[in-house]
Amino acid sequence: MIIELNSVLPFPLAEYPHGKDSVWKSNSTVDSSKKTLLNASSGKGKSTFASTLYGIRQDYEGTIKIDGEDIKSFDLNEWIELRRMKLSAVFQDLQLFGDLTAFENLQLKNNLTNHRSEERMLEMLDTLGIGDKRDQTCKTMSLGQQQRVAIIRSLLQPFELLILDEPFSHLDEENSRIALNLINEETDANKAGYVLTTLGSHHGFDFDVELKL
Amino acid sequence: MLKKLLFAHKSNLQFVFATLGTLIGLTSLLLSAQLILDVQSFQSNEEELFGPNSVVIQKKVTKLTTIGMNSTEFTPEDIKGLEEKEFITDVAPFQSSDFKVGISEVEGDGLPHFYADMFFQAIPDRFMDVKNTEWEWNVNSEYIPIVLPRDFIMIINYGFAQSQGINQISEELLMAARLQIYINGNGQKTTKIGRVVGFSQKISSILVPEDFLKIMNKQYGNGNILNPSRVFITIKDDSYGELEELMEEHNLDINQSAIDVVKIKTIVAVVIGIFGIAAILIMLLSLLGFIQYSQLVLSKASYEIRTLLRIGYAVRSIVKTFIKQLSLTFGIITISAIGIMFAVKLLVINPWLEDHGISIGASGITISLFIGIISLVLFIVANYLNISRTVKRLGNE
Repeated sequence: MIIELNSVLPFPLAEYPHGKDSVWKSNSTVDSSKKTLLNASSGKGKSTFASTLYGIRQDYEGTIKIDGEDIKSFDLNEWIELRRMKLSAVFQDLQLFGDLTAFENLQLKNNLTNHRSEERMLEMLDTLGIGDKRDQTCKTMSLGQQQRVAIIRSLLQPFELLILDEPFSHLDEENSRIALNLINEETDANKAGYVLTTLGSHHGFDFDVELKL
Repeated sequence: MLKKLLFAHKSNLQFVFATLGTLIGLTSLLLSAQLILDVQSFQSNEEELFGPNSVVIQKKVTKLTTIGMNSTEFTPEDIKGLEEKEFITDVAPFQSSDFKVGISEVEGDGLPHFYADMFFQAIPDRFMDVKNTEWEWNVNSEYIPIVLPRDFIMIINYGFAQSQGINQISEELLMAARLQIYINGNGQKTTKIGRVVGFSQKISSILVPEDFLKIMNKQYGNGNILNPSRVFITIKDDSYGELEELMEEHNLDINQSAIDVVKIKTIVAVVIGIFGIAAILIMLLSLLGFIQYSQLVLSKASYEIRTLLRIGYAVRSIVKTFIKQLSLTFGIITISAIGIMFAVKLLVINPWLEDHGISIGASGITISLFIGIISLVLFIVANYLNISRTVKRLGNE
């Protein structure tokens, strides 16, 4: 999957000055076969970038094309199909279901495509150190724990590009490293790539491309 | 799991009210439909004879009539006027005998001796609901079928018989016995055998088959062409009001008891109709209640719906989850309403009617099923449209 951005500028960011190497107001490309790092300070529009690529926000000028097609022409059903089979995301606000348990949150996503077995899901929970939380409702878990559930959930579908919006903001270095390993493992298994946004720290991340905002 | 997620914040109170409203509304609607059908099928003995909604009209006899200045005859223009009325579906002038008629008993058939001068009248066969075989007549028939006014037998039994010291006769006996008929006109005489095949409250005439009267008039008639003085009409259901207006306007007369059935039917139909309209209003209000209920559930679950769409759940699978739940509720409501309606009808209304001497025809379940299914479909479609519109809106936000 190739995502082309041509002179894209979100309306809320119009007032801000943007550097020459910024993704905004220039022509850039996100290649789903690559691992991309998006490094920027607060308020530059990392989350806006992530939600715009994911089709949640459409308040921008310029054009964004996915494999040559303008994403503004996609209707809701096309977006849903894309999110089910090609695009996955970890949202900054996680978007988990607080009343469901950690495992139910994972099942809900996995049921759509039966991408991974129950054993594999439990294994991932164990890997990220929250295996004992599987039957706890998400609203009773700490943000760091919830963040790990959200990361696992994003891996339970076929995808070409994974959009990770500050996925490690509530994790310590060690847990971030473990999570990143899992993400790399699953991304490689899917022959996919990802865009990872971060506030400076790149968690020892070995990226192919770096974009700036 | 979808159901658990989407109905996590449901509002029970609103749901109970909407459900109760729909149940009451639908039950009332079914009940009124069923009752209207029952009233339509309500039959008196009279209608068994003439079919429903038929009445005889005649012009009022006034002082002017008696001194010959005002005729009670219906002119061809009068008849045409009646035929043009929208609520009158059929018009048939009475034909009268143009010869003298006398009747006596046939000796040995069990009737006391009597002789009476009479007259014959006839209306078209299509108004006669007597069993066809009994009313059929041709020149080779063994006897002439006759319909007598019920008052006739009353006069004989409670007036004539007592004063003359003869035996009273039952309807059954009279119908079993033969009658000797003497016909005299156009300078000729003949006798025939007649048999009573029915009694009428509505028509105070001695009715014979139309064919018989035509042939006899030709042969024994004195050649007077008479305009009819009475007309048999059939009116539409529930048009008692128009009939009354017509009678007022043209100074017409009608046997009051004969229109009672028509009158009662009209009034009852109007009352039940109002009840039915109220029921439809209740139904519509509860439909709104349900739409509001699902709107509330949707807005309370808006985070869940939006997020489900974001992680790849299709609009239709979310809509389906809601509709499945609501359809189940509506299905139960519909079945309960039909059940309650029949219970009320069979256990309360029918016994009450029977206690009051009103027999009604058994009405089927078809109309209830039909109305039930129509409202079920209406409820599901209305809610489906509302829910899928709201879910799509949430997805595009």
